[in-house]
Amino acid sequence: MSPLLFLAAADAGPVGEIAKTFGANVPALIANAISFVLVALIMKKWAIGPIQKTLEDRRASIAQGLADAGRAREELAVAHRKSQELLAETGAQTGRIIEESRAAAARVTEIETQKAIAAAADIIAKARHSNEAELTRLKAELRQEFGRLVVEASIKVTGKILTLDDQKRLAEETQRQIAA
Amino acid sequence: MAWSKTLVLPFAGFCLQLATVAAEHGNHVEAAQQQGLPSAAPVIFHIGPLPVSNSMILTWVVSLLLVLAVRLGIRTMKDIPDGAQNFWEWLVEGLYDFLGAIIGAELVRKTFWFFASVFVFVVATNWFGLLPGVGTIGYGFAGEHGFHVTDPLLRGANADFNMTFAMSMVFFVLWTVWALQANGPIGFLKHIFGAKGGLGGFMGIVLMVVFFAVGLLEVVSILFRPVSLSFRLFGNVFAGENMLESMTHLGGAKLGWLTALPFYFMELLVGVVQALVFMLLTAVFTLLICSHDEEHAEDGSHH
Repeated sequence: MSPLLFLAAADAGPVGEIAKTFGANVPALIANAISFVLVALIMKKWAIGPIQKTLEDRRASIAQGLADAGRAREELAVAHRKSQELLAETGAQTGRIIEESRAAAARVTEIETQKAIAAAADIIAKARHSNEAELTRLKAELRQEFGRLVVEASIKVTGKILTLDDQKRLAEETQRQIAA
Repeated sequence: MAWSKTLVLPFAGFCLQLATVAAEHGNHVEAAQQQGLPSAAPVIFHIGPLPVSNSMILTWVVSLLLVLAVRLGIRTMKDIPDGAQNFWEWLVEGLYDFLGAIIGAELVRKTFWFFASVFVFVVATNWFGLLPGVGTIGYGFAGEHGFHVTDPLLRGANADFNMTFAMSMVFFVLWTVWALQANGPIGFLKHIFGAKGGLGGFMGIVLMVVFFAVGLLEVVSILFRPVSLSFRLFGNVFAGENMLESMTHLGGAKLGWLTALPFYFMELLVGVVQALVFMLLTAVFTLLICSHDEEHAEDGSHH
C-alpha cells in the first residue's frame, strides 16, 4: 500500500524529506487514525444509526398513515356508495309502499263509499217506504175522518137521522170520490 | 452588472485600506513574513512513543465535544424532534439525501456512516480551529513586537498532515473492503485490468493489452489517492491558518483583528467546502469501484 510505503520510506530520499517537512510519523498517524475511527464509530452508534432508524420509522409511520388514510378513504367511498344504494332502495321501497297504501286506501274508500251509498239508499228506501205507509195511513185516516165529517155535515144539513148503512154508504162514497 | 459592482467596489476599498494599514505597519509585515506556521505540528509532550502535537490535542478536544454533543443532544430519540435532535436529524437527512443522489441508494445505505462522520468531523475541526485562542495561546517568547507564540497549545487538526493522512488511510482501508465486497477479489481485478467494450479477435487482444496498461495507471492513481486527499485538505487548512496569521500580523497589535476578520468568514466557508470536497471525493472513489460496468453503460445510455 503506497501510503505505508510512503511512511516506511520516510527515512530517506525525497519522500523522507517530505515526511520530515510535514512532521509525518507512524505513531501520530496511528493515534490520529484511532481517534478518527473512534469518533466515526461513536457517531455511527449514537448519532447516525439512531437518527437513521428514527427517520426510517417516521417514514414508515407516515407511509402507514397515508396508506391507512387511503384505505379509510376507499372504505368511506364504499360506505358512501352503499348508503346511497340503500337510500335509493329505501326510497324506491317507500314509494312502492306509499303507492300500495294509496291504492289500498282508494280501494277501502271505494268499498266504504259503496257501502255508505248502499246504506244511504237502504235508509232512503226504508224512509220512503215508511213515508208511503204513513202517508197511506194518514190518507186512510183522513178519508175516514173526511167521510165522518161528511156524514156529520149531512146529518146536520139535512137534519135527518141517517142509518148506520146510510152512514156507511155515504162515508164509502165520499172516500171513493176523494180517492178519485 | 450592478450587483458585481456593488460587490467589487467595497472589496477594492477594503483592499486599499489594507494596503494603507500595511504601509503604516511595515515592520509588522516584515515580522509576519518571518513568522508563519511551521509545516509540521509542534509536539507539546510525549505519551510513551507517541509524540502528542498541538493538532492532536485539538483533535481529541473536538472528538470529545462531538461525542458529548451527540450524547447530550440525542440521548433519547423523540418522535417529534426538537432542539439538538432537530439539528442532528436535519444534518443526517440532508447529507443522506445529498449522497444518495450521487452514489445511489444501495451504496449510501452501506457507507453513509463513514461519509457523514468525515464531513461532521472535518467541519467541526476546521471551525474549531478558527476559535480565538487556537494558535494564539501557548509557549513562546517576548519579542520586539510583543509576545510571539512559537508552540501554541492548540492548532487546527487538519493543519497537521498526520490527521488528514490518517483519515485518508482509514478511507483507503474501507474503500478496499467495500470494493472487495462489491466485486469479489476476481471482479476487483477485472474491474481495474479488464478489457471493456466486449470486442473479440485481434482487436480484443489489443484492447486487453491497452486496458492492462490502463489498469496499471489506475493502480498508481488509486495508490496516490490517500496522498492527494490528505495533502489537499492539509494544504487548504494550513494555508488558511497561515493567511489568518499573516493578516493578523499585518494589522498590528491594534488592528490585527480587523485585517483578519474578513478572512475568518472566508475560512468558515473553506472549512465547509473542504469537508464537502473530502467527503464527495471519497464517495465518488467508492462509487467508481463499487459500480459495475453494466451500470455505467446503462447510466451512459440515459445521458
